[in-house]
Amino acid sequence: MTTTVPPTTPPPPRPSKKPPAAPTEQRTASIGSGLLRAVLTQRVVLLVVLLVAVVVVNMLLSANGYLTATYDFDYLASALIDAVPLVMLALAELIVIVSGRGGIDLSIGAIVSLSGMVFGFAYQQWGWPFWAGLVLSAATGTVLGLVNGILVAKLGFPALIATLATWYAYKSIAVVINDQKPISGKAIQGLFSSVNDKNVWLIGDWIPDIPLGVFTYMLPVVVGVWILLARGTYGRRLYGIGTNDTAATFAGIDVAGTRMRAYALSGLIGGIAAVYLVAEFSSARTDLGTAGNGLALPAITIAVLGGVAITGGIGRVAGVVLAALLVTWLNLGIQLSFQGNEGIQFQLLALGVLLVFAALLNGVATRRYGGTS
Amino acid sequence: MTVIADPGADPTAPDAHARGRVLASPVTGQEFVLLGVIAVLWVLLGFSTPAFLTAGSLQPLLVEVAPVALIGIGMTMVIITGGIDISVGGAIMVCAVTVAQTLVTYEMSIWVALVISVAVGAGLGMLNGFLIAYGRVPAIIITFGTANLFQFLGLQIFGSSTVNGIPSTLDVVGRGVNGRTLGIPHSFFITVVLVALAWWYLRHTVGGRHLYAIGGDPVAARLAGVRVRRRTLLVYLITGALVGVGALFYLAKGTSTLDQSVGSGRELAVIAAVVIGGTSIMGGRGSVLGTLLGALLVQTVTSGVTQLGWPSQLSDLFVGLAIIVAVGTDLLRQRARTSATRSQR
Repeated sequence: MTTTVPPTTPPPPRPSKKPPAAPTEQRTASIGSGLLRAVLTQRVVLLVVLLVAVVVVNMLLSANGYLTATYDFDYLASALIDAVPLVMLALAELIVIVSGRGGIDLSIGAIVSLSGMVFGFAYQQWGWPFWAGLVLSAATGTVLGLVNGILVAKLGFPALIATLATWYAYKSIAVVINDQKPISGKAIQGLFSSVNDKNVWLIGDWIPDIPLGVFTYMLPVVVGVWILLARGTYGRRLYGIGTNDTAATFAGIDVAGTRMRAYALSGLIGGIAAVYLVAEFSSARTDLGTAGNGLALPAITIAVLGGVAITGGIGRVAGVVLAALLVTWLNLGIQLSFQGNEGIQFQLLALGVLLVFAALLNGVATRRYGGTS
Repeated sequence: MTVIADPGADPTAPDAHARGRVLASPVTGQEFVLLGVIAVLWVLLGFSTPAFLTAGSLQPLLVEVAPVALIGIGMTMVIITGGIDISVGGAIMVCAVTVAQTLVTYEMSIWVALVISVAVGAGLGMLNGFLIAYGRVPAIIITFGTANLFQFLGLQIFGSSTVNGIPSTLDVVGRGVNGRTLGIPHSFFITVVLVALAWWYLRHTVGGRHLYAIGGDPVAARLAGVRVRRRTLLVYLITGALVGVGALFYLAKGTSTLDQSVGSGRELAVIAAVVIGGTSIMGGRGSVLGTLLGALLVQTVTSGVTQLGWPSQLSDLFVGLAIIVAVGTDLLRQRARTSATRSQR
């Protein structure tokens, strides 16, 4: 198993309802239908098309003065500061959803809150060096994720229920642990400069300033997850158990152990994202990942939009990253289309429409071509 | 997959002709356990804080239970069919703010408010049901999406950050003196009546049994002549309509102001009550009585924590543990049942 073919081979095409067209006709129709097929079945292609459309439309609107600020590459780059946690947490959801059997992690926002508080204690109050705080936060996230993993994989809890329960528990502990007060101070406030816009070394004058967090947090996580899922044996096993539990068991895969590690990995990413968010907000807030609708909902939304099949076994890192960029840059355009805060409401609308649209599209693609990849 | 292990609750079992064997016992093991746990908690809390077992403490508890259990009826049906509805929080917001705005603008009776709220809720539920049943998309995805849509809709109707000057029309189902008869809150009474109706529907009507069949195996149910799509649409519609009623309870909190946090996070509270009540998230098994008891347990814990003077957020920790214990014992019982049926063969 050294190849990197998509994890599931689509079932053979249905016994043809329409007889195959004559070769000459097929030649002319093939370009259009091939494109349609690519857009419908290759989520990455669809996302690239949408991403380009969003950026071009917004730039046209901006050039004609419909937006409240200039929608240019500088703005796009600085908006990436919001994309960093989205990408990381959506990748965490990718891993658990791919692991199959109804895999999902509702608790990821609460893991972020609790790991963030632990980081706050270590870095601000105990005066630990930054790297030690980061390691502790990541370790905390891993342990919390491991609890989910044991509940789901070893004890057989449905993932939705197990992570709903731990969401309640972790959220509660995060608030109570420091008497409902956030942790902040000089040390933590100093961290903001480690994530905000920076002039990139050597080529910085020719490209827009990019938030440092993209390089220090997002890219390492993206590359790490990509290597793990698309280049390593762990990924093969994960897609295997997500596609078919029983088949994976007979193939000699440790199903429970692989699935448990998926939840632990999700927690690990949550722990790293927690440090980023503490740095971005300059404070370890008790509701870091659970304020408002929390971070789990957008993360799951982006994972699904990125082509991750909720039934498990299907999903790619590239799709998730593109989906996060699409949502971030679309949100930016919406925000600039309105005076004041009304844009936030329309961002909800856009997210909802995108998700329903993507889900319906998955259904169409499955019926028409036997699956997406 | 869980139904097969439990011949008592499985309408499609080979010997399902004998009525008595289809409906083994009116109260399941999970419900007995919940009743026991709630009783123990009430006694313990009664001893440790004398104020707990008084009308002044139990009435607000029942008022808090009412909307969760009421919407839980619909959620139980949805989960029995193998679905889920994440959008009830957003739907509560839309119903509550629509009624609040119309109450502020027009003078009307509670009945008109009820009709408006139920109509709006049913409409939203129907959108969910239509997309899930006819779009053939997993319920969790669709309702994640519509949760965002409903929030957008709700915030649009809000206009500003709060709705002020809401008249006291809804006090009859509120937490004040007007909302009680013989000491029992009206909202809780309405909930109990509807739970009883739903309990009868699910156990003793063909339509109700069909819901279990769909949750057990939708394909088998369709082949057996169940109109799966129509039933699926129906359960989301019912949930929406119940959200409409529940929204009135949330609106009648005794203040004349409604803020944008209404409904926020309620979907998870309702799902928690349903799963603590022993309904299987895999579908095909569950009861509304369990949901009522689940909601009662959650609220008992929440009130208990507050009255013991502990930080109120600590109650969430106990809710989390309650879910794990409830579902864990259920898993153990299922395993015992499976091995029992295996040894019989």
